[in-house]
Formats: sequence, C-alpha cells, structure tokens
Amino acid sequence: MTDLKNAGRYYAHYLRRYWLGMLVAMVLISISTWCIVVAPTYLGRAIEELTTYLQHWANPATRGQASFAQFDRTIIIYILLYFGDASTILFASLILARVASFSTGTMRVGLFRKMQRMQVQYFDQHSDGDILARYTSDLDNIFNAMNQALLELFLAIAQFVGILLMMFNQNVQLAWVTMASTPVALVIAGWVIHQASVSVNAQQDDIGRLNGYINEQVTGQKVIITNGLQADSIRGFDALNAKWRQTALRGQIWSGVLNPLMGGMSLLNTAIVIFFGSWLAVSGSMSQGAALALVVVFVNYAQQYYQPLISFTSLYSMIQLAITGARRIDEVRNQPDEISPQPGLPLTQIHDAIQLNDVHFSYLPGKEILHGVDITVHTGEMVALVGPTGSGKTTVMNLLNRFYDVDAGSVTFDGTDIRDFALPALRAHVGIVLQDPQLFSGTIADNIRFGDPEADMTAVIAAAKQANIHDFIASLPAGYDTPVSDEQSVFSAGQKQLMSIARTILTNPKLLILDEATSNVDTVTEAKIQAAMDNVIQGRTSFVIAHRLKTILNADKIVVLQAGKIIEQGTHDELLAENGFYAELYHNQMVFE
Amino acid sequence: MKLLKPYLARFKGDVWWAIVSVAVVAFATLWQPRVLQQIMTAIIANDKATVFRLGLWLVALGVIGIGAGVINTVYSARIALNVATNLRADVYRHVQTFAYADVEQFSPSNLVVRMTNDINQIQQVLMAVFQQVTRIPLLFFGALVLALVTIPSLWWIILVMMAAIIGVSWFAFQKMGKLFGRTQKLVERVNTIARENLMGIRVVKSFVQEDNQIKTFAKASDAMRDVNTKIGDLFAILMPAFFLACNLAIGVSVFLIGRNITAHPAYLAAISSYTSYLFQIMFAVINAGFMTTFAARAMISIGRLETVMTHAPSMHFVAGPSQPVGGSIAFDHVSFTYPGDDQPTLRDISFTVPAGAQVGIVGATGSGKTTLAQLIPRLFDPDTGTVTLGGVDLRELSQATIRDTVSFVLQRSTLFSGTIAANLRQAQPSAALPQMERAAGIAQAAEFIERLPERYDAPVEERSANFSGGQKQRLAITRGVIAEPKVLILDDATSALDARSEKLVQEALGKHLAHTTTVIIAEKISSIIHADEILVLADGRLVGHGTHRELVANNPTYQEIYRTQKAKEAAQ
Repeated sequence: MTDLKNAGRYYAHYLRRYWLGMLVAMVLISISTWCIVVAPTYLGRAIEELTTYLQHWANPATRGQASFAQFDRTIIIYILLYFGDASTILFASLILARVASFSTGTMRVGLFRKMQRMQVQYFDQHSDGDILARYTSDLDNIFNAMNQALLELFLAIAQFVGILLMMFNQNVQLAWVTMASTPVALVIAGWVIHQASVSVNAQQDDIGRLNGYINEQVTGQKVIITNGLQADSIRGFDALNAKWRQTALRGQIWSGVLNPLMGGMSLLNTAIVIFFGSWLAVSGSMSQGAALALVVVFVNYAQQYYQPLISFTSLYSMIQLAITGARRIDEVRNQPDEISPQPGLPLTQIHDAIQLNDVHFSYLPGKEILHGVDITVHTGEMVALVGPTGSGKTTVMNLLNRFYDVDAGSVTFDGTDIRDFALPALRAHVGIVLQDPQLFSGTIADNIRFGDPEADMTAVIAAAKQANIHDFIASLPAGYDTPVSDEQSVFSAGQKQLMSIARTILTNPKLLILDEATSNVDTVTEAKIQAAMDNVIQGRTSFVIAHRLKTILNADKIVVLQAGKIIEQGTHDELLAENGFYAELYHNQMVFE
Repeated sequence: MKLLKPYLARFKGDVWWAIVSVAVVAFATLWQPRVLQQIMTAIIANDKATVFRLGLWLVALGVIGIGAGVINTVYSARIALNVATNLRADVYRHVQTFAYADVEQFSPSNLVVRMTNDINQIQQVLMAVFQQVTRIPLLFFGALVLALVTIPSLWWIILVMMAAIIGVSWFAFQKMGKLFGRTQKLVERVNTIARENLMGIRVVKSFVQEDNQIKTFAKASDAMRDVNTKIGDLFAILMPAFFLACNLAIGVSVFLIGRNITAHPAYLAAISSYTSYLFQIMFAVINAGFMTTFAARAMISIGRLETVMTHAPSMHFVAGPSQPVGGSIAFDHVSFTYPGDDQPTLRDISFTVPAGAQVGIVGATGSGKTTLAQLIPRLFDPDTGTVTLGGVDLRELSQATIRDTVSFVLQRSTLFSGTIAANLRQAQPSAALPQMERAAGIAQAAEFIERLPERYDAPVEERSANFSGGQKQRLAITRGVIAEPKVLILDDATSALDARSEKLVQEALGKHLAHTTTVIIAEKISSIIHADEILVLADGRLVGHGTHRELVANNPTYQEIYRTQKAKEAAQ
C-alpha cells in the first residue's frame, strides 16, 4: 500500500502541471464516450424506422405515408456521432501523448539532476547497474504505461459508466441480464491473475537460475574447454532447462489464458443477451420494430460491455510495472543531497597547511574505519599514504574534497574547517586523479577541458604536453577532435590515464589527490604515467595513495596506515631506521633479491 | 524459419490441437452473428420455438468458444515451451562443441544473449502465433465471405474500408520507421550519459561539472522527448481512423440497405450481423499488422540462432582416450593471427622446454605472452609452424590426452558457483579430501579454506563474489595442481597475491611438483626471477631467452622492464 502511496505522490508531483491538459482530455473522452454509447440507439431507431416504412409500404392503403425522411435523418446523426467520436479521441490522444512524453522527459531530467546533487555514499552503496536500471527499465515502463495505459484506462472507465447508464435508460430488465455474468467474470479474472502472478514469479526465478548458469558457463568456456568439462556442463544445463520448462509452462498457460477467457466470456454474454432480448421481444408487448431495435442496441452494448474489463486485465501488468518504477525512482528522490554551507566561505589559496585533526570516520554506523587520524601537510609538500588493503587510505582521500564528511574531528585548510567553504569553491581547488580514469563521450579535447569547458586549445595542448600525451594525440588522424567513444576501446588503459592527468593539470588545482593505478598497465607504460604524475605534483600540495616505490621514496612524508590508525609517519630513511611495519613492507614488496 | 521446422514437426500433435481449437474459436465468433440474423428473422416471423432453439444454440456456441480458447492456450503454451526448451538445449550442446576461437568469434556475452533473450523472444512469438495465427485469416476470410453472402451488393464498401485502414497504417508506419531509428539512437545517447555520470560521479563532482552535465543530459532528453511526441502523434491517428473507417462503412451500408429495403426486405434482419462482420474484418486487418511487426522481431532472433547452429567448430581433435605423453614443450617456427586481425600476434617463435623445467615468459602488455601460452593446451592452432607436447604434434593428440596432460590457470580466475570441492573436482573428478588438502597446501589456499566453517564444502557464489581476488587466484591454482599435471601454465595467475604468498606458492611448486613442466607468465620480474629459462617477448617476437642473470646482462627489452621495477635504481 505504501508503494501505491509513494507512486501516487510521485505521479502527482510530475503530472500536476498538466492538470489542464488532462482535464480537457477527460472531457473529450467523455464526449467521445457519449457519442459511442448513444450511437447504437440511432442504429436501433433506424431499424425501427425501416420496419415502420416496410409496414406502411406493404399496405397499399398507407403506402403513400411511407417516407425515408426520418430514416435519413437518423443515419446522418449516426454518422455524425462517429465523426464526433473519432475527432474527440484524436485530440484526447494527441494531448495525452504530449503529457506522456513531456512528463517522462521531466522525470528523466529530474532524476539526473537529483543524481548530480546526491551524496557519493549512495553511489558507493548501490551497483551502477541497479541505478542505471532506473533510467532504462523503470522510466521506460513509466513511459509505456503513460503512453498506452492512460488513454485506455480513462476510456475504459468512461465507457463502462456510459454503457451502464445507457443500458438502464433503454431497458432495465435487459441491463440486468447483460450485467449478470459480471461477478463470475470478475472472480475468474481475479483468480487467473493471481495464479498467473504466482506462477510467473516462479518462472522468473527459474529463468533467472537458468540464465545465470548459461552466463557463468559460457563466460567460463575457456576453463570448460581446458578442463574438458563439456559433458558436465551439458548435464547441469539439462537439469535447469527441464525444471524451467515445468514452471514456465504453468506461467505461460496462466498468463496466456486470461485473454481468450475474457473474450469467450464476452461471446457467451452476448449470446445470453441475444437469447433473453429476443425472448423478451417475442413474448412481450412491444411493437415489432421496437423489439428489433432493442435487440440490435443491446447486442451492441453486450459486445462492448466486456471491453473495459478486457483492456483493464491486459493493462494490469503494465500499470503494476509503472507503480514499481515510480516507487524505485521516488526512493532516489528521497535521498539526502550534499550539504554546502549557505553562503560558504570563498577559497582562493592555501597558504600554510592542510590538516586532519583526530579524524574519526565510518561508512556504516558502528563500523568505524578511521580511528583518530592526524596528518599535517604543509603547502608544496607531497605525502605518500601507504598501507595494506582496507587500511583506510582511500577513505582519507574521500574526506579531502568532501565526498564524505568526518564523524568527529576535522579537516582544515589553513585552520578553516572545509565544511565551511562553499562546496564548488572547495572542489574547484582540489584535483583528483583516480585509479580508473573515467572519460566521457565527446572528443579528446572535450575530455581534457572537462573541468573548464571554456578553456582554449592552447591550454588544452599545454596540459596534454605536460601529461606526456600530446605526441600520441597529434599522431591520430583527427588529433584532438578524435572522438572518445562509449567503450573507449581505441585507447589503452595507459593512454586514458594520461588523458585524465591532462584533464586535472588544466584546472590547475591547489591540492592534488592521486590514486596510483596498480595492475592495469605493464611496467613500461607505468613509467610514462609516473613521469606525467611527477609533472603534476611538481610545486603542488599533494596526497598520493602510493603503490610505487619511486613515488614513496620521493615523498616529503610517508604516512603508514593500518586498520584505520596511523602506525608510522616520517621520511623513508626515518621509517627504515625504525625497522617497523614500513621497513618490512619495503623489504617484502619492493626489493628483488 | 528452417530452424524451427524440425521442432514443430516433433510436436505435431500439439500443433494440430492448437490449430483445431483456435479454428473452433474463430468459428464460434463468426457463427454468432449468423445465428443472430436467424433469430431476428424469427422475431419478425414471431416464431417463439425457433427463437428459443436458436437462443440455446447461441449459448452453447459461447461455451464451446470458451472451452476451445482454453484448450488452445494450453497447447500453444506447450508448443512455445517445448520448442524453446529443445532449441535451447540443442544450441547449448552445439556451443559446447565449439573451440575457443569460435566462442571468441561470437563473444561469450553474445552467445549468452542468443541463448536467453533470443530464445525467449521466439517463445513469446510462438505463443502469440498459435493463439492468433489461424484465427486472423479464418476470421478475416470467414467474416469477408459471410458479409458478402449476407449482402452481396455492398462488396465495394468492404473494399473501401480495408483500403482506408491499410492506407492509414502504411502512411503512419512509413513515417514512424524513421522516427524509431532516431529514438533508438537518442535512447542510447541518454543512457550513455547517465552511465558515464554514474561511473564518473567522482570526476564530475571534483571538477564541479554538475550543471554542465545536467545541461548536456537535458538536451539529449529533450530531443528524445520531441521524437517520442511525434511518434505519439502518429499513433494517435491510428485508432480513431480505423474506427471511423469501420463506422462510416456501417453507416453507409445501413443507409443503402434502408433505401433499397423494399427490394430486399429480408436485409432488415441482417443489419446487425452485417455490422459485426465489418468489425471483425477491421480487427483482423489491424491484428495482422501487429502480428507482422511482432513476427519480424522473432525472425531476427531466429536468424541470430541460425548463425550459431550452422557455425561448424573450427577445430577438430583426433578421437581416442587419454594416453600418456611426455611433459616437454617445443615451438617450431610458430606464427599466429587471431581470426579477424590483420597483424599476426605471434611471429616465428621457436623454443624448447625440457620436461620438468620451469619457464618464465615476460613482455609488455600486448606482446603476445597469453597468446603463446594458449597454444600449449591447443585453445588455438598456429597459422604456421608446430607446437609439440612430449615430442608429438598437438594436432595428433586426442582432446582427452591434452586436457589430462596440460593444466592452465588463467589470468582472470574463473570459478563456478557450487562448492570449493566441486570446483576442484573439475580437474580431478575422483579427488578425495587428502588430495584437495595437498593441492590447497601447495597453492597457499589451505590457510583460508581451513578457516571456513564448511571447509571444502564451503559455497562458491556466482562470480565467486564471496572470495577476494587473491583467494580466487589461490583456489584456481589449487584446481590447476590437484591432478598433478605434466604441464602447468600459470598465466599471470598470482597477480593478486602479495609477494610473500607468491614466493611460498613458487617454493611449494618446486618442491611438490618437481617433475611438472611449469610455464609462468608474469608482469613482475620477481615472479619468474628463479626460472630455469626466461622467454622475453616484444611485439609477438621472441627477442631473448636465458636466465635472469644472462638477460639482465645483455637483453635490452628485459633490461628496460627490469629497470622500471627495480627498487634501488628507482630511488635515485
């Protein structure tokens, strides 16, 4: 139920501004419905007129009175009513098509806008695929539902009401007969939908298992081939495939039977209406013409009566998906934004020092990662952070430009808590080079001036030169205009890393945070990246998560982290002399013989 | 379509039932207006007995319609599922006969998509086809014939109505085709921007580019919205146009019938059934259109599966059981080009490794190390030259022989979901606990396996997500050594291990698998420094071989690699 409430709130938020359009559409749909339900009575009347005409005509005494005037008029109204129906539905559809595409457009941009404001924490705790699914499947489902379900739903409801009203207006007895089978149909539909959802869920589980197996096996085909496991692999597949067949058959039957069942119910109901209507006609006191007209009119209604129910059952799953989609996106909408002080302090220069003062931090409450870390870096110095995986090196980086905020203690620039600076000002002066260099679609030049889209080509080239990538770019046929495609497969990991370094150089940050790549590139490429990094570090204050000995050896200060605590701190020589953790690390990892 | 024929033939019985039952449904639907007309005639004649008899017959027809609909669903589902299950099984079996080159040619993810999405697509379409396929033509021709029989003179109205419906659809879909292409591109663009911003959220934030990215995204999103609106407009025309065409046809028909009523008074009873037939003709034409586009998608899937099924495995092994063969390896003027590449990855490589020796292979990324290693277990055949195992050309050995002789531990260690023991038994089906413990001891995996409550029966999750990179590699090495192979290849298989564990693995290999020929591919020189012989690759050529000491002294490529890794010099 809360799902429904959240989804309702979400739609209300985005559809509110289209209230006028939707109101007009509803009025148009009501008019169209009126046309549709009234039209059969004119067909009935036309038949009644014809019967009268025939009766007059058959009798030589009254033949002179026989006239088509009434009949012609009736037919003209009949045709006009359908013109009315077609034009109103056309306009309602045009309006609703706009509502659908414009509101989902706003939802899409709204989602993106929200994501740009959210805290990094959210992205770290959710898989990319899961978040991306909100753009692809969730928004897609919402658009499909709005595009198709909205009109059909309005139409189904309006027609249902309209037909009921008209039926009772025409003949109460036959109206009840037409409705008599409704409870049976509803019970059957409810039961089938329930069975279908139960068995389709089971089917989804089994297809998930089967697909998972196929994926795992085929992706690991090299191991299967080198170990000669083909027969085993087929055996495992057969078991899952057979199991899936069983559950899927149930699911397919239950979900497939609803439509024929409802179609059949409609057929049966029409038969019953014809039966009773014609029985009424021959046993009652009605005139022959009126009786014929009544049967024709009610056959028409009986054929349409089940339409709303049929379209509702086929829209059901679509609406269900749209509700789920809205709930999932609404979840994102309720995530907290990043906090920037209003108005924040400006930041132009770091004169003296960057300090971490007794910093405590946890990603999850109760699971503290940093337990009181103190680091002081004077401007112009380079600090190397060293320590085993999980020691908290990356966490320290996350705190410096406020991807996360400390739990206790503080990070200060020249004594000012960084939480007091305006967030954009702070980040504009903190440059980051990440292990995994993420580039964006666009040209190479676009990527290098990513941090400053206004930068001219001279600046771009200068940055590329400093990053040792200019010669490579210049050697490409399209040079700086070479597109960086989605997969970026044209460039090696090393080249991408160099471009990301150029990107950082261009923004000329005061403080630099570098996360050295570990295993993506061979050692020769690594040396090139190293040289580029040295160029950036030159003359700047920098924090480096260091894996390479050379970086560590060049550092003004080495900070050794273990399990969230600083265990050693000093220059290379000092730490070697201490003969502690660092010394062991150095001897184990960095020395050959 | 050829692909599905044998399957449909196999389930002939189901197909027959599905078609007969859907024909019954169509008959019930078409016959109702016919009976209605007779009832109307009976009303005019005031014939109570006939009205009653026909009324009962109508109700019976309705019940028959429901029953037949249910039966049809059951058999359609059976056809769809039986074909999907068997087709998938056959494709899977066929893929298992593939050599690795074939798998790479299709790419594993592509093969997975074909076995999952494409078959699912075919299943859905088969279901729809057997629920509809005979119904549409039956309803169409049935309604057409019955309408023409009922009031022959109005044939041209039916023609005009159909022409209008087809004309409008043709116009709309013509225009939509282009728009669909555009919207597809825009969808991709929007998703790309979203994905890049997700993966690069730290980059965007640290460069304070949120607003610019929102602008870029909004531009793409707005373009997509506008195309969607245009498509929506075209769709908006369709239904009202169809219904208007049909209702106009009915109005004009009734008018013409009425004006000539004195010539054919019996038509008075036929008006209602005639309108029903016109509606059925309209629905049949519309449904046929939908089915065509639906089936077109299935044809694409069928085509994609056909290419897999008709692809012959690119490599054949001589038949025969596993036979003992020696552990020496020799490459004789071997060159190799990946299918689809124009440059060879390996060029004229020759070397020999005596049984029981330890060889290291080093070189920059892309120098051909992994490719070279993959030729030893015959994952690929060389273009020219020969690879021999124990002095025998690989192409003359049975598959079983090679698998039992050579064990290959991959760079990206693939474990399968199940248990640790199940993964180890993949290399040695008969392996008992002591053997597992011994192998795990060599790979330095015993230490963490012992700490797991279920030890060797501990579960391995999908993508072995419950183990760290180093643990995965150690498990893969355990699997690699458990059968005590004559030849063991470690393709960068210790990259996630720390230096100490790596050293321990190497010492254990030397001690426990002393008679195994070991080929170690490594990025780090420290991993192969003690090898009996080191091969140095550059751009697919063997540019040097010898011991570490020799290579350091006289091989420039090796010297460069060594220099970038050496600690003491780097310090200067």
